[in-house]
Amino acid sequence: MPTPRASRSNRALKRAGVAALGLLLLAGCAEDKPLNTFEPRGDRAQGIYNLMSPIWYIMGVIFVAVIGGTIVLALKNRVNGDELDPEDLPHQTHGNTRLEVGWTILPGVLLAAISIPVVANIWKLEEKNQPGQLDVLVIGQQWTWSYRYDTDGDGFFVDANGDGKVDEADKKFPLDTALDPDDVVTQNELVMPVGQQVDLTITSRDVIHSFWIPRLNGKRDAVPGKFSTWSLQANEPGKYTGWCTEFCGLSHARMRMDAIVLTEADFNTWLENQQRPAEVPDEATDPDAFAGRQLFINQCVSCHVIREAPGPDAIPYAPGFQANLKSGYAPDLTHFATRSVFAGGIYSQYEGKGTDANDDALDVSDYLRLPELAKADPQSRDDYRWNTAELKRWIANAPARKDMAPDDLRGMLPFPALTDQQLDQLSAYLATLD
Amino acid sequence: MAIIDKPLALPAGEPRRAARPLGVFTRPKEQTGISAWLTTVDHKKIGIMYGSAALFFLLIGGVAALLIRIQLATPNNTFLSGDAYNRMYTMHGTVMVFLVVMPIGAAFANFLMPLQVGARDVAFPRINAFSFWVFFFGGLMLNTSWFLGGGADGGWFNYAPNNGVAFSPSHGIDFWNAGLLIAGIGSLTGSINLITTVLNMRAPGMTLMKMPVFTWMTLVTQFLLLFAIPVITVAQLLLTFDRRFGANFFNVQQGADPLLWQHLFWVFGHPEVYLMILPAFGIVSEIIPTFSRKPIFGYPFMVFSGIAIGFMGWGVWAHHMFVSGLGPLSVTAFSVATMFIAVPTGVKILNWMATLWGGKLILNTAMLFSIGLITQFTVGGLSGVSHALAPSDTQQTDTYYIVAHFHYVLFGGAFFGFVGGVYHWFPKAFGYILNDTFGKVQFWTMVLGFNLTFGPMHILGLQGMPRRMQTYDDAMGFNFWNLAASIGAFILGFGVLMLLANVAYSYSKWKKAGRPNPGPDPWDARTIEWSIPSPAPSHNFDTDPVVTSLDDFWHRKYQEDENGVVRRVHTGAEIAQPGNGEGVHLPAPSYWPIVLAFGIPIIGYGIIFNLWLCIPGALVVIGALFGWALEPADDLDAPGHDHGHDGPGHDGSGDHHEPELETV
Amino acid sequence: MTDIGIPVEESAAFVAHEQELVHETGHASSLGLSNTKLAFWLFLGSECLLFGALISTYLLSVGNFVGQVVAGNPRVLATMPAEIMNEIAEKGSVNSFFDIPFTSASSFILLMSSLTMVLAHKAVSEGNYRGTKIWLSATALLGATFISGQVYEFTVFYREGLHYDGNLFGSAFYTLTGFHGAHVTIGILMLVALLIMAFKGKLQADRAETVEIIGLYWHFVDVVWVLIFTVVYLIP
Repeated sequence: MPTPRASRSNRALKRAGVAALGLLLLAGCAEDKPLNTFEPRGDRAQGIYNLMSPIWYIMGVIFVAVIGGTIVLALKNRVNGDELDPEDLPHQTHGNTRLEVGWTILPGVLLAAISIPVVANIWKLEEKNQPGQLDVLVIGQQWTWSYRYDTDGDGFFVDANGDGKVDEADKKFPLDTALDPDDVVTQNELVMPVGQQVDLTITSRDVIHSFWIPRLNGKRDAVPGKFSTWSLQANEPGKYTGWCTEFCGLSHARMRMDAIVLTEADFNTWLENQQRPAEVPDEATDPDAFAGRQLFINQCVSCHVIREAPGPDAIPYAPGFQANLKSGYAPDLTHFATRSVFAGGIYSQYEGKGTDANDDALDVSDYLRLPELAKADPQSRDDYRWNTAELKRWIANAPARKDMAPDDLRGMLPFPALTDQQLDQLSAYLATLD
Repeated sequence: MAIIDKPLALPAGEPRRAARPLGVFTRPKEQTGISAWLTTVDHKKIGIMYGSAALFFLLIGGVAALLIRIQLATPNNTFLSGDAYNRMYTMHGTVMVFLVVMPIGAAFANFLMPLQVGARDVAFPRINAFSFWVFFFGGLMLNTSWFLGGGADGGWFNYAPNNGVAFSPSHGIDFWNAGLLIAGIGSLTGSINLITTVLNMRAPGMTLMKMPVFTWMTLVTQFLLLFAIPVITVAQLLLTFDRRFGANFFNVQQGADPLLWQHLFWVFGHPEVYLMILPAFGIVSEIIPTFSRKPIFGYPFMVFSGIAIGFMGWGVWAHHMFVSGLGPLSVTAFSVATMFIAVPTGVKILNWMATLWGGKLILNTAMLFSIGLITQFTVGGLSGVSHALAPSDTQQTDTYYIVAHFHYVLFGGAFFGFVGGVYHWFPKAFGYILNDTFGKVQFWTMVLGFNLTFGPMHILGLQGMPRRMQTYDDAMGFNFWNLAASIGAFILGFGVLMLLANVAYSYSKWKKAGRPNPGPDPWDARTIEWSIPSPAPSHNFDTDPVVTSLDDFWHRKYQEDENGVVRRVHTGAEIAQPGNGEGVHLPAPSYWPIVLAFGIPIIGYGIIFNLWLCIPGALVVIGALFGWALEPADDLDAPGHDHGHDGPGHDGSGDHHEPELETV
Repeated sequence: MTDIGIPVEESAAFVAHEQELVHETGHASSLGLSNTKLAFWLFLGSECLLFGALISTYLLSVGNFVGQVVAGNPRVLATMPAEIMNEIAEKGSVNSFFDIPFTSASSFILLMSSLTMVLAHKAVSEGNYRGTKIWLSATALLGATFISGQVYEFTVFYREGLHYDGNLFGSAFYTLTGFHGAHVTIGILMLVALLIMAFKGKLQADRAETVEIIGLYWHFVDVVWVLIFTVVYLIP
């Protein structure tokens, strides 16, 4: 498996040539740890952190007392077994009821005291946001996450039973059919406004997954046929990494998610853009992209969706769409170029500056610039640029880039028949999807 | 003190019926060699076979563990593919839980418990042999999946719907179902057998509150098995029906609820956790008083906390499901209930410490491993409290923090206790003592390897490394501690192998020294299994031991003088039984337990590959049942027990009381 | 149950009592219950959990099934004829699918077999060999009648469209009742074994406990049926 998304800090380590164990240890602590549960950046994660802080200390005290005590007792009371006088017995204590009752009740009282803030925190984690704030449906599938934003505010996301209405009855069905056409759909990256509590409804299309952005909140399982609620809030704009944490098959280790937290204004700009249908590239000015669109119609639409404005020439798409996959759905690519990662969040869609193709440490301030970077000169090394090479490798043979079972309808098929030129054309077309 | 002078021998009265004329049904006679082991019904031999089988499976599970650690030693490693990794970690967990830790518990229970309660054997010796063989064949069948399409790939927890044919089309999970269902039959019959033995076959005078703590923990463990096994059996049968016969129990498309699997699995799975650790608790509760030279502190509290853990184990299963969307009310209830399990567990730890307090400690290998259990289990217990708190668990569950937690409990706790138990009771089983210096080196190697492997996993987990990951990125900050854990795993593996090395080393030294007998009571121990020769003779006790107090053997050796000072009045060797089995009838060996157990996996293969294969399997089972029912009781002067149906309890002289009942 | 600090005299008294017990009853089983009977009780305890898990599975699965039918999930509706599904959706329960009078009759037959089992045990204890044979045969026959009824019922349901691999209801119904049917069948086989012994003259009063134990199993299976009948057929 190739190396996706290497880090700068680790290369710094290598350059420093640190070999000694102690130094490595120190460097290990200084290393960037994007999933660290001890660095909360949102109120939910902060609440859990605050709850646990004193408890870690209590545990530390007990740890030292029991382990230290046992070791001290063992050392203090040891005798040499070979020189033992069998007559020389220690005092034969059988027990002490008062002591026993004491150390039964004391931990009980301590635990009862701890349980009060714990229970309060359990209920606090379930609190819903205010009406009018953002609701997102989070859907896991093998091995990627998609997000549906309830932009029309009807509170529902999917016309799951295909009756043309989006209502309570839909909640009873697996998500194998259509979405609410009014809503925005995106993939891998959950884009959200800073400060606001975003309510998530989490479910799955196939097996159980678990949604986890450790710096913002704990995790919640995505169970097929069930809709669990959860919420996120971030104090600062930024990119917060997450990872699927319920074992979900072959590429469980390659199923990521990120929360992209933007300022309120940026978020609104982003959301407005996402609500547009995709545009058809101009045949005259951009012939490669236009040819790529034709290839897409020929090769990709049996699974993937790109939503264009309705019309006779639009890319075929119907509500009730169902990909020939066990999950029934392949990622919606309508605004592909606005996303910074693909393939379940493991490959960067944009290469780094300079000569370092692996530097993907995009700043969120660049996030809204991505579509325009996609159109920039691919030879330029001054800025991030469209990662054509990786994208082409992926389209040509996805199972070689990520463990999948396409023959068993789990994951993306390889397309060995596509020529290099055709791959270029597809890449050019995808780059126009702003 | 009093020993009933009534001989233990069965009354050699007139046989009620002559032996059957059917030659094929005579019972095997071999006392030595392979066939003696294959046909034995002796609880001690069966215990040793449980232990040996567990060691064999430990090698398989251990190799899987090391392959996992090689894969995870460096980021983005390609040593194992995603598919291979998933099968490897699934089989590692399954093998270690079901085929290593559980059978080691069964090994100690089988070998030790009848000796501790002063019984001739377990209640149903043939069923005991069957329990072992069906466990062993089930385990072998599970492991044949390596050669028949790959091991299971759904994790040992095997959550629906990822365990369905749609998402796991290979036969791995079918083997997982069939192998564990078959091994489960052995656990169920074993638990019935052992509970009956504890409850019904105690030596005269041994009231429940005079039973050794290990026997108590065996009783609690076997009750947990008795009630937990049927639940996992139902779950695995439903899954088998789904996978092989198109049923819909976990078919989400038809509206099934995937959480049903989780509930069934963890209703079994949590008691399972306790039934893995409680035997080790029992073992150290025997070792610590022996080598502290004072009684266990707070015996009744030790017993009741064990029972409390057993009971509470049934009410906390959903703490494995805090993040599955149960709703805050359930989460609150299960979170609080789980926290309070810390109370009885803490009582146990404090009582062990209080036993050490003021003792005169002989820090030999067994004692070191017991202290290792106390300290390392405490780490596991504390991390357990941290994820009993549901909000904290949402950050910790399914991360390496949990991996660290349960390895501290099951390896640092249960397995260390088991190794200590092996050192302690080895002379009683094999007649020679394992080298203590070698043992101490092994202990420190294992402590180092264990803590280097699993200690860093706490850090990794809290830094966000999820479990069941085939690989991880360079950028996540997981590199250093993963490498450390991988190095530790090899040290730990070496430490475990040192046990086998010590067995061989000590044996050769013992042989060179002319096979000196360690005597009945090499440790100046407390319970009545030390009042018989080492190794324990096949008939266990020459005469019926009569028990007057807890730690009866100790109180026969040491008594208070007129000044209230405890003095030794006898050495163990003086009052031990000579091991004279004259006139004692033992249950005869039998072919049928192994034949019966052999037929069942054939049916299992039939369900996986071709239903026609079930017919020969069923024929073997039916034939074995007939053989079992019709084979004569041991010999002519033993009472006849040839009831025309399956005869649990009509096994002929399983214990010294029963035959009299049966002949009346 | 005595504490650990028991005085020696008291303990000795206990031992004496124990020895007395040995002489009186011929065995010193600590609980005063034979090993076989104790083991069988334990086995039945384990069976309770088995049926408990199966019944819970049935309730959950059929509840989910009815929910899907009421909501009109097309995949679920396609698994059985529309008129049956309409009725289930209308009533919000699957009870209308069953033939309650028929099953009540077969349940009554099974319950009667418990009575004949008691009579068989009584007969064998009294050394009444003719009675033993009669009542054991009656029990086995009643059990077989119940099983025939179940086979008939399965056939009818299958023809009506309830298939094992069709939907949740089919899987759960056949599994639960099938497991019970298998238990009854094993019980009948044990009764037949007893009958063979009885006809060979080997089922004498000293084997009363064997009959009693098989009776325990039989009663257990009957009680489980009462539960299943109530949960599956009667409660909507």
